[in-house]
Amino acid sequence: MARKKVAAKAAQAWIELVTTDPEAVSAMSVVRAHLDPGRAPRSLRRMRVVELWGALPDGDAVAGLLHRSIQFYNPHKERCVVRGSADDPAPTAPGEHVVLVVDRGEERREAAERWWRHETGKSIEVREGVAWLMAFNPEVADPAAAAWELAVLRDRRHGLLCNPHAQEPLVAAAEIPMPWMAVTT
Amino acid sequence: MTARVAVIQFPGVNCETESARALSRAGLEPEVFRWTRQASDLRAFQAYVLPGGFSYQDRVRAGALAAKDPLLDVLAEEAARGKPVLGICNGAQVLVEAGLVPGGAGVEIALARNRMRDRTGYYARWVYTRTEPSACVFTRTLAPGSLLPLPVAHGEGRFTAGDPGRMEALLRAGQVPLRYARSDGRVAESFPENPNGAEVDAAAVCNARGTVLALMPHPERAQDLGALSPGLAGAWADARAATRIRGDREAPGPGMTLFDGLRQHLVEA
Repeated sequence: MARKKVAAKAAQAWIELVTTDPEAVSAMSVVRAHLDPGRAPRSLRRMRVVELWGALPDGDAVAGLLHRSIQFYNPHKERCVVRGSADDPAPTAPGEHVVLVVDRGEERREAAERWWRHETGKSIEVREGVAWLMAFNPEVADPAAAAWELAVLRDRRHGLLCNPHAQEPLVAAAEIPMPWMAVTT
Repeated sequence: MTARVAVIQFPGVNCETESARALSRAGLEPEVFRWTRQASDLRAFQAYVLPGGFSYQDRVRAGALAAKDPLLDVLAEEAARGKPVLGICNGAQVLVEAGLVPGGAGVEIALARNRMRDRTGYYARWVYTRTEPSACVFTRTLAPGSLLPLPVAHGEGRFTAGDPGRMEALLRAGQVPLRYARSDGRVAESFPENPNGAEVDAAAVCNARGTVLALMPHPERAQDLGALSPGLAGAWADARAATRIRGDREAPGPGMTLFDGLRQHLVEA
């Protein structure tokens, strides 16, 4: 019997609710009402990013495994896009700025790692963060700075999505890194 | 005149009734103040309690959305005038996310996910807290070193700071009035006595004046002596055993000491 090809070292699952995300709706409402309205984004989306690191099968096999376990997502309520390599596009829209928020020191998902080992016999590392995807109107001069300003909590008037005393905000340049969490946290 | 205390209820808060009862038992006049009221109405109160629960379903991060509410603007102004504010569990998360504790410039600390041995997520149990030297008005009736058994119930209760020395500095400054401890009075140092991995075993952090307290355990759930867990030891457990014999389960429990401290402070203020 032919052995399964083991090529990729990292994969990213971008998981989004099929319905409107209540966390993103609430965050947007608070941003518009209580933070600087002139720099509020036109749209705000939230996605969970699950990153796998180790001896992985190809992208389709990874997608199949993720689909099988509630450890990763609920296919009845969420959609999942798997990036099997850095060449695969992330499911971001043109003009969206992405800030990935990771709970510092708490990003590993050990139950998911145990499930993976049980199912495949392979040990991998699983990490999870929350990606906030923001698009701004053209009159916002520096949207990347506005995204950072909105993300990083400083006081009651500035920042919301990441408390830097316990969380790490990761910002991608033009390309979304792969892996992202494993090499930066 | 009895002091009026606003028990502030955001959507998702679920400990307002028992918090109001504890305040009432302490001789104060509590009033549940819902988020839909005019924020300026808060100025008529002499003190404030932010009770436990899940404000705004913990969306984005526990306490993060409530911290932006206009009620917090008024609360911050009144706190700056020296009015006492007690945040319990989710209320503590709101105070931290709003930067009212430790009360320096902006947000200085976080209440992060619990860090526990061999488990993750929500965790509930009775713990011992040890009183530390502090200007905190809520612990003023407790001698330093005294043990207070209280229940905890949370998933994000780990006091931490981006600056590695910040929590230690707060402890030295008397802004950590309660620390998780063992039954013999030594600080906890590890799980499960420290139920969430909080730095310096902090169970609570207050501002420099001692008037604003972010407290992770639930004193309102320990207001009746009969509610104490049978597994506890120490003076409070002995008192509980005695009340069982007398049939007086509603005798004041350890949690009442913090509300009594508030009343004493308000009487003198």
